[in-house]
This record gives sequence, structure tokens and C-alpha cells, in this order.
Amino acid sequence: MRTFDWVVLFAWLIFLVSYGLWRGRDSSSVNQFLLAGKTMPWYAMGLSIMATQASAITFISTTGQSYTDGMRFVQFYFGLPLAMVVLSATAVPIFHRAKVYTAYEYLEHRFDAKTRALVTIVFLISRGLGAGLALAAPAIVLSVILGWPFRVTILIMGGLVVWFTTMGGIKAVTWADVQQMIVIMAALVLAAIIAVASLPRDISFLDAVHIAGAAGRLNAVTTHFDWNDRFNLWSGLIGGMFLALAYFGTDQSQVQRYLTGRSIAQSRLSLLFNATAKVPVQFFILFLGAMVFVFFVFVRPPLLFHPLEMEAVKARPEYNAIQQQFDHAFDARQQAARANDGAGFRAAQKELDAARLSAIQLAGDNDTNYIFLYFVTHYLPVGVVGLVVGVIFTAAMSAISGEINSLATVTVIDIYRRHFHPDAPDRHYLIASRLATAFWGVYAAAFASFAKGFGALIVAVNQVGSLFYGGMLGVFVLAFFVKRVGANGAFLGVLAGEAAIFAAAKFTKIAFLWYNVIGCVVVVAVGLAVSVVEKRPRQAPV
Amino acid sequence: MLPPPDDDPPPVLGTWPRVYGFVIVYLAALIGAFYAFTVHFAP
Repeated sequence: MRTFDWVVLFAWLIFLVSYGLWRGRDSSSVNQFLLAGKTMPWYAMGLSIMATQASAITFISTTGQSYTDGMRFVQFYFGLPLAMVVLSATAVPIFHRAKVYTAYEYLEHRFDAKTRALVTIVFLISRGLGAGLALAAPAIVLSVILGWPFRVTILIMGGLVVWFTTMGGIKAVTWADVQQMIVIMAALVLAAIIAVASLPRDISFLDAVHIAGAAGRLNAVTTHFDWNDRFNLWSGLIGGMFLALAYFGTDQSQVQRYLTGRSIAQSRLSLLFNATAKVPVQFFILFLGAMVFVFFVFVRPPLLFHPLEMEAVKARPEYNAIQQQFDHAFDARQQAARANDGAGFRAAQKELDAARLSAIQLAGDNDTNYIFLYFVTHYLPVGVVGLVVGVIFTAAMSAISGEINSLATVTVIDIYRRHFHPDAPDRHYLIASRLATAFWGVYAAAFASFAKGFGALIVAVNQVGSLFYGGMLGVFVLAFFVKRVGANGAFLGVLAGEAAIFAAAKFTKIAFLWYNVIGCVVVVAVGLAVSVVEKRPRQAPV
Repeated sequence: MLPPPDDDPPPVLGTWPRVYGFVIVYLAALIGAFYAFTVHFAP
């Protein structure tokens, strides 16, 4: 990065943090700090929900996934619009009318305190792990790109997040997300335009799309069914719907966003905005990855995109042979692309992939998460580089701020106020909320500093969520739809659901998206079974 | 009977079930378009 890029990066950081703090300046009560006084319009909530989900990992990893594996990851989001419809019709009005701060408060109204406590603990474990990963994942990549030590990157990100979330509460988080989302989409559109405009003059946009297709990078829909395949139409529609139901219906980091709405209608619109916008946005990000792939058909890429791993591989005796194989395959692939020779292109691509695989095996880790940032830092104009790196930096901050805000809310409302200090004045809970926010921020930074070494980071984050979401979704399904199931059924159902998910993860190769379905079904089945046993008339003692 | 005061109608299409129906039809159209895109540019 050049000097002007650093200026743009820091100007963007200062602007975003200041803007968030200004917007959140009147967070002087618990209701303001945690629910923005229930004043948020739908578009702010909608963009904030999208920003929290579309963290830095999404932009870094998704484009890289498309480069190496094609666009089939888009299917992961096919169930999301269906889930948004279900939640708009059920969870949104139920939570609003219950006048709760957290989704788990509702569980005590419907079941009992122990069910609320159990689900609260499940949430704190899963989201606590997620917050650490959400900070570690982009910090690993950005520390390499910016040349900063990993722990310094964590410290800067974590420090800014703690400061502005502690001061401004959910208002600061939400309004900063709005700016963040608008600027990151503009930056990605700019990156896509530059990628296409930088192709050789004799390669049109349509040629580029055909080349990406010939390389199998435009496989947006795959209709075959396979339990062990992570991304196909069916796992996306069914498993993706269950994951989205759990994430947006039971995860406080999302529920809290639409609880800030000024009415049920505004909250519904925020979810339905995501229902219509998320899939096309994800398609576009993956398409950008495919265009970056085509760009590197004509511009020689490095053998590995991770600069430090590349240096390490260069020192190995096998390096020269692998690099020669890679160069030969690159030349053959480029010639085949220009000659419109599909078979030759695929053969050369196979050889090139084999060379990269050899290098990745030598390096010990894949470089998927470095592909897009390598393209940005080497081929985008000065200033734009700083902006793109800056928005990726703040995208990480935005995701984490939402998470620590929700963790703090649950800690104060579901644990501290419920079990330790139920009748304190509002100011007491406001201070407790700020302290809890700071605690979770420090925890996330500490966890993140030990969390190096994940592969495709987005998958890791979603996998952690999927270990817990099925159980949480199941208990809310019981709460909303199965009136006959009582507190014991719900409590034992959650325990059984979680046991089933961990067993599936440990003993089977079922793709992680299905864990949400398995967990939910087991919770409902066990809840129903317990309710039947409980309602069976007892025999009189002999 | 009047709806609860907190449950406003949607700004378009008149009722919430119609909006939900629109979202589902829109999703089906998107998946159909992506499928056609995949088949058209398949190797």
C-alpha cells in the first residue's frame, strides 16, 4: 500500500467510528443502549442485519472460494428468503408484543427459568466462540496484507470496537453498519469494473464470462443430492433455511437488530429487505471472484497468494519443479483461452491446479483468503486500495461490534438482571451493559489472538454456529408452534438435540448445514415424547 | 375487528401474506435464472 492508501484507510476508520459515536451519543438509558429506544427505520435495520452477517470474512473468503471452487456457494443462501418469510410471520410479532430485550426472555414467559438459562448458556458459548473467530479470521489476513503483527492488528480492531460499542450501544453499531454496507458494495462494484476493464483488449466481458464458465467457475446451481456435499440446491434450500431460521430467529445478534424497530411492520420490512437483496448480493460477490479468476488467466498470478507462505515454499527443494509446472500450465491455459479451445483450457487448468495443490501441501495451509486482497493490493489504483482494505477492516469491526453488543445484552438481561440483581435502577443496568460490552470485547480479542490456522474461514464460523443453532431453533419451534409441550419437554429436548448434533459431527460425514435440521427435529421429537409421558395418567399405588 | 395498533399493513401489495408470496415467487425466479445461467455457461 502506498501513502495515499494509508491516508484513505485511516480517514475511513476515523469517519466511521466518529459517525457511529455521533449517532449513538444519546444512549443514556438501557432501552436506548440495547434497543435504540425502538426508533429504527427498516432500511437501517435491514442494512445492519446484512452488514453483521456479511462480515469481512465473507468478502475475503467468498471471492476466494469462487476463484478456486466456483459460484456454488451461493446456494448456501437459497433458504434465507424462506426463513425471512417464516420469521416475519411468527417471531417478529411474537417478540415485539412480548416487549422483550432478548429472545431468551420470551422462553421464560413460555416455559420456565431453567429453559431460558440453558438456551442463554448455549448462546453465550456459540456466539462467544463466533465472536473470537470473527475477529481472528480477518485479522490473520489483514495482518499479512498490512504488514502488521497479528496481535497488533487484533489490538487495533478490538480496541476500536470496544470503544465505540461501549460508548454508543446498538445505535452506533447500526448506523455505522449502514455506512459500512453502502461503501463496501460501492467498493466491490468498483473492483469488479476494474477487473473486467483490465482484461486484454481482445477479450470482451462476454468472452470473460465464457472463460469462467469453461473453467467451471459459474456453477451457481448444482441439482444433485448428496448428504456429504456442503453446497447444492437441496442443502441450500433445506439446510440453509434451517440455518437462517436459527440465525435470524434465535441468535440475539440478529434478533436484537429487528427488536430496535419502531413497529412490527418496520421490523418485518428489514427482514424482507434481506430476503430479496441477500441472494443477488452474494451472487455478485461470487461473480466478482470468478472475474478475478479470469483476470488471472491473462495476468500471471503467483504460485501462492499468501506472501509469507510463498516465501517459505521458495526455500524448499521442490519449488523449482512446481513453479515450472505452474508456468507451463499458465501459458497453455492462456493460449487455450485465446484460441477458444475448451478441452485444452480444462487440461491446462487441471495441471495448474495440481501445481498449486503441491505448493499448498508444502506450505501446509491454503491461500483462498488471500486471493482477493492480492488482486486488490496489486492491481487496483492508489486510493481505491486503501478504501477496499479499509472497508474490509471495518466490516470485521462491524460484525464483531454486533456480536459483543448482543453478548452483553444477554449477559445483563438474562443472567445479571434475572439471577443476581433484579430490581436495580435503570442507570445501574446501563453501566452493567457498558461493562459487559467491554468484557466481551476483551474476551473476543483474547480468544482471537490464539485462533490462528483456519482454512476457509467463513466455513469455520458457520460450522461453529451449526453445532448449536439446531438445538436453539428446536426450542423456539416448540415455543411458537407446539402448545402441548411444557418446560421439561423443552429443556430435555434441547439437551437431546445438542447431543444428536455433536454425535453427527463426531461420528458421521454429514455436511454441517444438515446439523441444524437434525438438531431441530430431535428437540421437537423429544419435547413431544416428554409431553406425552408427562400427560399419561399415573397408576394409583397398590 | 380492527387489527392490533402495532401491526401496520405493508407499504406495497396491501397485505403481508401477499408480500410473503411475492418473496417466494421472486426466490423461485432467481433460482431459475441462476440455473439457466449455470447451464448456459457450463463447460
